[in-house]
Parts: sequence; C-alpha cells; structure tokens
Amino acid sequence: MIRYTFITVLLLLTAFVVQQFIPAFTGLYDSRILLVQLVFLCAAVTVPTPTMLLLAFIGGFLWDAQCALGPQGGDPEIYNMPVEALRFGYSIVLFGAMGYLMHGVQPLFQQGKWQFSAILSGIAIFLYLAAEYLLISFIRGGFIINRATLEQMLFTSILTMLFSPIIFWILFTIAKMFDHSIYPDADKKRRRS
Amino acid sequence: MKPLNLIALLLFLGGATWALTRSERAVREIQGTYYSAMRPFLKTGSVLENKARAFTDETHHSKELETEVTVMKGEVGRLRIIESRFQAMEKENAQFREALNFKKATNFDVVAAQVIRRQPATWWQTVEIDAGEKQHIGTELAVLSNEGLVGKIDRPDRDRSTVILLTDEKCQVSARVEGTQEVGILSGQRGNQGRNPQLRLKFLSKDAALRPGQRVYTTGRGGIFQANILLGTVEAVEKGALDSEAIVRPSVNFADLGTVFVVLTSAAP
Repeated sequence: MIRYTFITVLLLLTAFVVQQFIPAFTGLYDSRILLVQLVFLCAAVTVPTPTMLLLAFIGGFLWDAQCALGPQGGDPEIYNMPVEALRFGYSIVLFGAMGYLMHGVQPLFQQGKWQFSAILSGIAIFLYLAAEYLLISFIRGGFIINRATLEQMLFTSILTMLFSPIIFWILFTIAKMFDHSIYPDADKKRRRS
Repeated sequence: MKPLNLIALLLFLGGATWALTRSERAVREIQGTYYSAMRPFLKTGSVLENKARAFTDETHHSKELETEVTVMKGEVGRLRIIESRFQAMEKENAQFREALNFKKATNFDVVAAQVIRRQPATWWQTVEIDAGEKQHIGTELAVLSNEGLVGKIDRPDRDRSTVILLTDEKCQVSARVEGTQEVGILSGQRGNQGRNPQLRLKFLSKDAALRPGQRVYTTGRGGIFQANILLGTVEAVEKGALDSEAIVRPSVNFADLGTVFVVLTSAAP
C-alpha cells in the first residue's frame, strides 16, 4: 500500500513534466489535454481518502505554482480598477472537490467497473473547468460566457477523458507490480468462484 | 466519517488555508523554485512545440501562401512610400533638434526574443519567450512586435520569461484614440479564445465621437508602457448611460507571433 501510494505521487509528478510537452490545440479554442488533472482523478479512485487528499494537495499546489499570474502593477492612479486574479492555492480546493467526486464511484470501481470512473473523469474535468471559470467571473465581476469558452471546456474534457483508459492501465500495471489490489471487491469475488 | 479520514481532511484544509494565505512574494519564490526544477523539461518541451508548429506551417496550402505573398507585396509598396515620407520627417526633426539643442531624454533599449511556447495556462492569455533575467529582463516590461504592443512581462525566469498578452483581461493599458481627446483603459476580454480576439477600450467619455478605423495608441501614462505604441484600430463604439466603450481590433496577429522585443526601460510614471 505504501509503495503504491509513493508511486502514485511519483506518477503525478511525472504528469507535471509530461504536461510541458503537450501544447494547446489552437484550432480547438486552445483546448488541451489536462494530464495532471487526469492522473490525479484516475489515481484518486484507486486510493483511500487520506492518500487522495495528499495527491490533491500536491497536484493543486504545483498546478498553481505553474499557472499563477503576478500582480497587475503600474500606477494605481491610472489603473485604479485592477483586474483581480485567483489566489494561489485555489486549485488545491478544486482538486480536493474533484477527488471526492471520484470517490463517489469508488464502490463501482472496486467491483471492477473502471469504465464508469473513466467517464466520470471527463465529467469531473468539465466541472473543474466550469468551477474555475465561475470563480474567475465571481472575483472579476460580470459573467460572460460564449460559445468559444464552452467549446474550450467541452473539447478539453473530451480530449482528456479519451486518455483515461491509458492512465488506468498504467495504474493497474503498477498495482500488479507491487502486489496491491485496487479492485478488492472484484478480487474477493474471483477468489470465491 | 472514519477518524483517520477526518484528520486527513482537517490537515488538507489546513494546508489549503496555508497556501491561500501566502503573500505575493512567497508565491513568486515558490514559482521560482518550481520553474528551476522544471527548466530542463521546459526547454525540451518548447523545442518539440516549435518543431510541430514549423511542420504545420510547412504544410500550408500553396494557394494560401500565394495570396499572402500578393498581399505582402502590396503592403511593402505602401510601406516604402511611408518610409520615404518618414525619412524626410526624420531629417526635418534632426534639424529642429539641433536648432533647439534637444537632449535625448529616453533610452529605448530593447532585447529581441523568440516565442517558444504558446498558451501554457488554461484561462490566461500568455506566451513564453526565450529571454529572461540573464538578458536583464524584469517584471512589467513592455513587449512589442513590429506590428505593435504584444503585452508585458509577467514572470521572468533565468533564461525565459512569461508574457501576459494584450488580449488577456488582466493586461490593462492606458490608451488614446488618434485625432481625438479620448483616453481610456484598453484590455482583453474574457473568453477571448480563437484567432480573432477583440479588445475593449473602457472609460471613454459618454459622447465619444469615434469612427471605425481610427487607431489606438498607448498614452505613456501608468508607468509600464511607453507612449505612442500602436495597439489597434477601433471597430465599433458602444454608448452607455455614463460612458462609452470601443471595441478594438489589435494590430498584432497573436496567432502568428514569432520574434518579439522586450523594452528594457520601464516607462516613467
């Protein structure tokens, strides 16, 4: 279990490295494959709550370190209505919420039905992006949503979800390597029969 | 809830609160550490992205390129005429300077850089360039292209920097409309994805008499951007109860950014 937990943390860190090699698809409204979020979501459903929260903290913290923008700057007399930015650390909370969402289908996953989790990962990504966008709108004021934004969120979710079977396969292989069961219910059934 | 899960949740919330209460300076330090750890991967990632982009550019349809060449030939002709006029004006300006014993007041030193990565974050309109602190680049320096203002430096690293583009909502520029007394704040709009982003010039006077096609320039006020840098052209005007807003088409083609120039001298406030 400890070895599996350690490997999932390493896998999440590796996802941060691989994410640097994945460009945005400019033809699809800057949609992208959110590999870090996907690895977290897939790993979250295979681990107990404390490990999921640890992964959420690491993932959210590093994601914000990568993406956070600096202060606006300039003369406050001229720029007297600065545009607010999301506070560093908000992603930790969003990652945690997504992790709990994935834990909702953990009973199904433990029965061996990983396909539900794969679909839910796409839904979770969409909700994550929608929550981020709503937070930005809330702190900056004025809710503007257009087709481009919706399509960006939709394509990002679909593109990311398509890669979830590969991440699950990697997790299954790692679990097998370390003799760790991520399908406890399904394994029990198999042993009984 | 199991006691272990509850303890984990409390620790998680404590950690999140700690992160949320970090100061700007502490966040910059965290980002510095993160980016120095990521530096080798970032370099390779940028090289791959540029190679992929070069490959896509090569596969452009030849007819499209032919059309581009025709348009560019026309543009070169137009610019030659303008250049000859400018040469005459430059000569005249030099004579006036000499007559007034004018001293050069500003030092407009620039560093050329290549865009190596586009759109690294989901919601922010940013690019990364291959010049950083080694080239004396600091925060909040103006970034230009030969077409006009590109944006400003958000986070310089040792040998690369993040540029927040003019199309981002957070990049505000004090702007004026040519031929008028109208001054306002220009910024990008939320949901500005796609190839044809638009900017919004806010806080204009209620009866702003603007025409489509009028050019918008920086005022030089605000301490970040130098004066008279081209920002774009007015497309439409929206009149409100208290003020007016103009929709501005940026002069820079943000989808095709290659070489940019970082102005090393920050504008005086």
